Amino acid sequence: MDVLSFASTALLALFFVGYLVLAGSDIGLGMLMPHVARGPAQRRRVVSAIAPYFLASEVWLVAAVGVLAGLFPLLEHHVVAELRPVLAAMLAAWLVRDAGLWLRARVAGPRWRLGCDAAIVAGSWTVAATWGLTVAGMLTGGLTASAFTVLCTAVVMALFALRGAAFGAERLVGPADAESADVAARVTRPLSRAALGATVLAAAAALLPGGPELSSAAPAVILAVVLAGALAATSGLVGPMLSRHTSALAIAVPGLLVAVAAQLPWAPVPAGTGVFVWVTLLPAIPVMLIGQVWLYRMTRRPAVEATFFA
Amino acid sequence: MLEDPLLLARLQFALTAATHYMFVALTLGLAPYILTTQFLAALRGDRSRMTAVRFWGGLYLVNYGMGILSGLVMELQLALNWSGLHEMFGYTFAAPLALETMTAFFVESTFLGLWIFGWDRMGRWAHLACFAVVTATAYASAWWVLVSNGFLRNPTGFEMVDGVAHLTDPVALMTNPAATMAFGHVVSGAMTVGALVVAATSAYHLVRRDDPHGIFRRGIRYAAIVMAVMPMFVVTFGGVQFGLFGEAPPTSGLTYTAEEIAAIEAASPGGPLLNGVNATADGLMMSMWAVLFFLGPVMLLVWPFGGLDRWRWFLAPLVVTPFAPYLASVGGWVFRETNRQPWTVVHHLTTADAVTPMTPVAAVASFAFFTVAFAVLAAVTYWLLVRYARRGPGGGPLAERREEEPAELADPVHTF
Repeated sequence: MDVLSFASTALLALFFVGYLVLAGSDIGLGMLMPHVARGPAQRRRVVSAIAPYFLASEVWLVAAVGVLAGLFPLLEHHVVAELRPVLAAMLAAWLVRDAGLWLRARVAGPRWRLGCDAAIVAGSWTVAATWGLTVAGMLTGGLTASAFTVLCTAVVMALFALRGAAFGAERLVGPADAESADVAARVTRPLSRAALGATVLAAAAALLPGGPELSSAAPAVILAVVLAGALAATSGLVGPMLSRHTSALAIAVPGLLVAVAAQLPWAPVPAGTGVFVWVTLLPAIPVMLIGQVWLYRMTRRPAVEATFFA
Repeated sequence: MLEDPLLLARLQFALTAATHYMFVALTLGLAPYILTTQFLAALRGDRSRMTAVRFWGGLYLVNYGMGILSGLVMELQLALNWSGLHEMFGYTFAAPLALETMTAFFVESTFLGLWIFGWDRMGRWAHLACFAVVTATAYASAWWVLVSNGFLRNPTGFEMVDGVAHLTDPVALMTNPAATMAFGHVVSGAMTVGALVVAATSAYHLVRRDDPHGIFRRGIRYAAIVMAVMPMFVVTFGGVQFGLFGEAPPTSGLTYTAEEIAAIEAASPGGPLLNGVNATADGLMMSMWAVLFFLGPVMLLVWPFGGLDRWRWFLAPLVVTPFAPYLASVGGWVFRETNRQPWTVVHHLTTADAVTPMTPVAAVASFAFFTVAFAVLAAVTYWLLVRYARRGPGGGPLAERREEEPAELADPVHTF
């Protein structure tokens, strides 16, 4: 593999895995909102925890789609051909979820807020589910009705929820009467266990007919062990101390699995396009990094007063 | 008619792109004004100008939200519904789009987040720098998208290798007149959209003599100057593009021979619907610009007499003027895009070959959902923009919190 193709493939994998790790937090917390937030004040705090991140995390997916279209059209064609209905559903859910986030604070009425919260929750669940189907579909070479597809989807959804729980346990900490953070912290243990159980079952189902068709088995086994290990580490613990790191590692695994072990059509990047894209991209990389690091550092503390979103 | 996936895919993309562009135009038109105002506010420590930044910035964000939502749908819809285009022209048409997502949108969205959440968390110059990055990347984004769009009309700078276009000349791609002229046209047109939204909002409040911070006094003067200058650029950059009409692109012949091209074009003359839409859009665009061309000079004329501040009969009609550049913009895009038919990439790929093969059920489901969702979201955004514009600086989404509202959280917060 030449340097340009290798760098471009690594870039695609980075955007894809980066999206899962970063957006996992805000999508997962969106899924858990009905559980961790009771009443309008607590729901507002959940949205204000999500708000600073969803803008900066979804751009990773947009960039991944851009790289896919511009540098790997063959792969893009394959993914769209195999998974078109799932991707269309994901796009619809993404639209609904983001519309809820953008519009929530615009009207003061309780019914408006409830409607937007419902859009955020339903959108988050559907986005997580369609990601599960997408990962399963890419591993099995197209959507297949099999035990593996169901279990893989369950694993990915549990990983999203776990990531959201760890994130919420950290970010929802507030005044004494707000128990959201504690509820989120308590839920990390059952979610770790559920995800671990689903992972073991999915690994077993992978051997049945309709399981994944992998290009190489060894990395897939290693990644599955890493995933199980990361989940086992927190399956007896409550709170975000460890799970904020292990949940990030865990949700990266499905992305890495697709990147290294899935049988996907791949063609080397032609030199003309590769050089053009990389020469233009390189000067922008520092700005991209500065923006992301700055935003994540600046908003470490939850916003005290009302912001644009909540 | 509605069973035809190709027609539905085309109609869906036209509606998505037109909706997206309306919000993009206001983003591009307002950003330089907000940036300038924030620069002056930071330079002079001017509180009234900072109030203006919060007011126009609030409108900018409400509008930007819908711009993002429609932009996301547009990018992914391009991938989902037009796979034939990506298969053949991924390395050329989609490469600028890849750069748009990374170097423009990625940065723009992140720095907009910094700007939204940085009001009380960073110094005024750092906060200003964030919006400067947002403005620059908004324009960079428009540039890359128009490089892609210009390529469809005037494909250049590539060779065909096994039926796939490989980029050979990035400079030709970037200096494509179909892209550079369109960029000038779109930027100057967007500036008039921004100026007239500022003018309409300002006129609404000036008629009511409601301008304690001088926001609307300055706003309407800005609009008068922009409207006196920009329409000339719009018309010039637009007129130059008529010279490109009917010219074969430099790469003509790489995919089809001249005889095949003539046969394809003869086989699909467009039909009365397409031709009618094309002519209507052209007429709409031209008549709107004919009106807008005179608005700026008239505003300059009444300025010395105090008309921009006091003449209610002059100010009141300005409230509806933003419809004109919006109609002209959408008309312009419909004209440009329908003109290219039956080609998606002129002389290389027909629209019928560019669309993803899909079942009528899938096409109808996707069309119905996104059309209804967009209609609802665009209507809500329009309603919110009008509502916030009417409320004025005191009631905007970025307005400073009033003192009497109790702080929700006073205790120090424990974090892990």
